[in-house]
Amino acid sequence: MSSKTGSLRVERLTKEFGNGKEKVVAVHKLSLTINPGEFVTLLGPSGCGKTTALRMIAGFETPTSGEVLLDGENLVSMTPDKRPMGMVFQSYALFPHMTVFDNVAYGLRIKKMSSAEIKSAVAEVLESMSLSHLANRAPNQLSGGQQQRVALARAMVVRPKVLLFDEPLSNLDAKLRAQMRIEIRNIQRRLGITSIFVTHDQDEAMSLSDRIVVMRNAVVEQVGNPDEVYRRPASVFVADFIGRSNFLKVEGAKKARSGKASVVVGGVELEVAAQEDALTSKHPVLLVRPESISVTASKSAKPGKSEGVVSNVVFYGNHVEYTLNTDEGVILAVVSDPIYEEIVPVGRVAKYSFDEDRAWLLPSESEQATKEDQE
Amino acid sequence: MKSSGAKYDIFTKLALLLVVVIVGFLIVLPLVNILVYSTQPSGSAIVTGAFSDIVTREIIWNTLKLGVAVAFLGTVLGFIMAYTQARVEFRGKRIFHVINLVPIISPPFAFATAIIVLFGRSGMITRGIFDWRPTLYGFPGLVLVLTLSFFPIAYMNLLGMLRSLDPALDEAGSSLGANKWRIFRTVTLPLLIPGFAGSFLLLFIESIADLANPIIIGGNYTVLASRAYMAINGDYDISLAAGYSSLLLLPALIVFLIQRYWAQKKSVVSVTGKPSGRPTLVTSRFAKSFLLTVTTLLTSLIILVYATVILGAFVQIIGVNNEFTLSHFQYLLGGFANAAIRTTTFLALIATPIAGIFGMLIAWLVIRKVKRGSEALDFMGMLGIAVPGTVIGIGYAITYNDPVKIGGVTIFPQVAGGAAILGGSIAIIMVYVIRSSPAGQRSGIAQLQQIDPAIEEASASLGASGGKTFRLITLPLISGAFLSGLMYAFAHSMTTLSPIIFLVTPDTSILTQKILAEADQGRYGNVFALCCILIVLIMVIGGLINLFVRRTQVSVDRPMVAGR
Ligand SMILES: Nc1ncnc2c1ncn2[C@@H]1O[C@H](COP(=O)(O)OP(=O)(O)OP(=O)(O)O)[C@@H](O)[C@H]1O
Ligand SMILES: [Mg+2]
Repeated sequence: MSSKTGSLRVERLTKEFGNGKEKVVAVHKLSLTINPGEFVTLLGPSGCGKTTALRMIAGFETPTSGEVLLDGENLVSMTPDKRPMGMVFQSYALFPHMTVFDNVAYGLRIKKMSSAEIKSAVAEVLESMSLSHLANRAPNQLSGGQQQRVALARAMVVRPKVLLFDEPLSNLDAKLRAQMRIEIRNIQRRLGITSIFVTHDQDEAMSLSDRIVVMRNAVVEQVGNPDEVYRRPASVFVADFIGRSNFLKVEGAKKARSGKASVVVGGVELEVAAQEDALTSKHPVLLVRPESISVTASKSAKPGKSEGVVSNVVFYGNHVEYTLNTDEGVILAVVSDPIYEEIVPVGRVAKYSFDEDRAWLLPSESEQATKEDQE
Repeated sequence: MKSSGAKYDIFTKLALLLVVVIVGFLIVLPLVNILVYSTQPSGSAIVTGAFSDIVTREIIWNTLKLGVAVAFLGTVLGFIMAYTQARVEFRGKRIFHVINLVPIISPPFAFATAIIVLFGRSGMITRGIFDWRPTLYGFPGLVLVLTLSFFPIAYMNLLGMLRSLDPALDEAGSSLGANKWRIFRTVTLPLLIPGFAGSFLLLFIESIADLANPIIIGGNYTVLASRAYMAINGDYDISLAAGYSSLLLLPALIVFLIQRYWAQKKSVVSVTGKPSGRPTLVTSRFAKSFLLTVTTLLTSLIILVYATVILGAFVQIIGVNNEFTLSHFQYLLGGFANAAIRTTTFLALIATPIAGIFGMLIAWLVIRKVKRGSEALDFMGMLGIAVPGTVIGIGYAITYNDPVKIGGVTIFPQVAGGAAILGGSIAIIMVYVIRSSPAGQRSGIAQLQQIDPAIEEASASLGASGGKTFRLITLPLISGAFLSGLMYAFAHSMTTLSPIIFLVTPDTSILTQKILAEADQGRYGNVFALCCILIVLIMVIGGLINLFVRRTQVSVDRPMVAGR
């Protein structure tokens, strides 16, 4: 039941707070196109401007410049109550003086629907979220997860073209959060409502999204699907923010005949995929995720090429984590399904290796930062 | 450390005993005596004839009518001012806020006399500008003056509520398609209903209890408080006064109970989560100009009143002979008021720390120590403010003009009246304490509820006794509430009148009583000058208390609060 409407375009959206010396740029030239029915997450550290961006789209914040277009129509001068968007708040913002039913019916009453229609629409949405038995409760008589579902039902029942979420799961405990994640995603898929979801939790972003927008200091650092953001991050920052990373020192980086980059790591020449600016960078680094690295015991007493001294081992049952001191830097390796007897103990030399297809060459962080400043 | 049935430690037991004894002598015993005396012939005639006797019925009706009118108008005005303050952007907002709060610590009569001078029969504005000679004396004047004096209570109450509403509630309404007017009707107003109810009831209590204004501008409009006063000062009939006092006590206590235990419980607080966003501001031009007009008019009126008070103190007869003079001050400070200034300040300064600590002690017992009966304890502590001052004053006069005896044994000496020890000043201090400790109790309770009990439990687990924990941990943590309790206690003691009228003696002349005497004589220049002196005293000494307390306490501006 995917609808064709609900394509959202954001053009060079900028928000500055205060002026003069006090000026804070909360969002800087955010541009984004979101397809109908797509689920997009804004992800980034605290204070990077996610909430501000979302609130500009909802209309609660007036952009300093830039545009918001829904199905081609410019919304910037439209007040929030006129925008066909629903919002789920971090505090849920359930009306405490109304029952669950009245909360959910609120938006429908404003649309001047008949009370019979309202009754059936509310009953349907409550049913679909297994809330029917709570219809006559007050919000403060609900558990956190139930409140969360009511907030979602209230926003969805009016059939908005776009659903906006500002960290809606951050008040729930870990188990409930995982469960609500699945629930939100299923309902959103079923109804095909274009959704923008703000979070600073990378697991949430990875598991929910069609695409992730990684933000940093008011600007977009990368837009991509979860795999791209994880395997082909645009920068050291993105790699570091999403998942755990090793950045290995490399030598002699140059363009290979295959179009990939050729680098030497621990004396071994590898052909790896590279970010576009990586080869012009003076000190590129090689991103290898810990789970891509395998570790085996070495017979030598001193570490040779592609070898390091084990400085820490943690056994988790289903996997084991090694920390190795190598010439390429400290390496973290996660070996899954380990055989207990084969674990290399602390102080011993271990050999590490990884598949060159699982590596990604990046320009180093400091160079990227200076390049941005010059822009 | 709140557990039912658990044994209290020795400090808690002593503290509870102390509270019960203090409350017993300072308020319960005088009230009991009021009830006892009202069963004597002249008193019981009033009580039993409350509904049949035409005169009494009219006095009761006058009292209730005044209470309802002031409560209604004051709540509406307080709401408009609060809503403007919270939701409209305009210049000078802060100043407006401060001016709106000034009437709370205003000396009695400042409003009544200034309003007469401005708007009375020969008022500077009514007659001077419009050549209009309205009669202020009676119901309209009382409503005007009492509304102006008491609306700040509603203002503070509702402003606090408006500010604590999660802004996301408005935004949620907006994102569901509601326009601002609809959000105002369906979200904001309904959420404030407990605040409206609470403000209404508080204003009702304040206005039926007021004695000063009915004396000065009541004219022939007699209310219970002024009638009880007349019974003492005209009829010299204590039982009669007790009868009227009982009639006044009843509605005051009932309304107080409703306010505390119903209206406040009703309040629906925000559900969960951290509030986000900023409050939605009023943008409609019509709404904005309406709100700003009302706010500006009312604020200007307050300024006008105080300008009249200050100007009036420095001219011969304001509006009649506007020649500059210091004669009022020369007269007052040249002997007439010196003793009153000294005595009033001295007695208030003695009462202030006692009231402050007493309020904190009750707050701590209520929140932390007593489980079963904590509401009763809280109520006992609040009696001093729930009972009209007139009733307290008469109760004291009945109880403490002689030694209190049980079976011929004196259990409490005579503390009121000229023949009492220290010229009757002890009774005045007792009244100051019991009237002003409830404010500290309230702010102490509010602050304690924010502090994680585990902090005190940690002290106990480290071996500190109950008393040590209270002194080393609790008091510093609630020092903010303590300070505001002290400031309030001092200001309130300096300006209180209704209970004091019945307790002043030749040895203990009190400033507010001097103001009453001068106002009664129509010497408004002296009234204004005395008000100025009172205001200056409150500001200077209040400021010193503030400095002193801040200097001596360990600075704990941001006590650790319980995470949620
Ligand atoms: N009303 C405001 N006035 C001034 N500065 C503001 C205002 N609102 C936000 N900011 C600033 O804009 C920046 C972005 O804030 P925003 O709330 O969008 O961050 P966020 O990414 O949502 O962070 P978090 O994950 O902590 O919620 C911050 O530096 C913040 O201090
Ligand atoms: Mg945010």
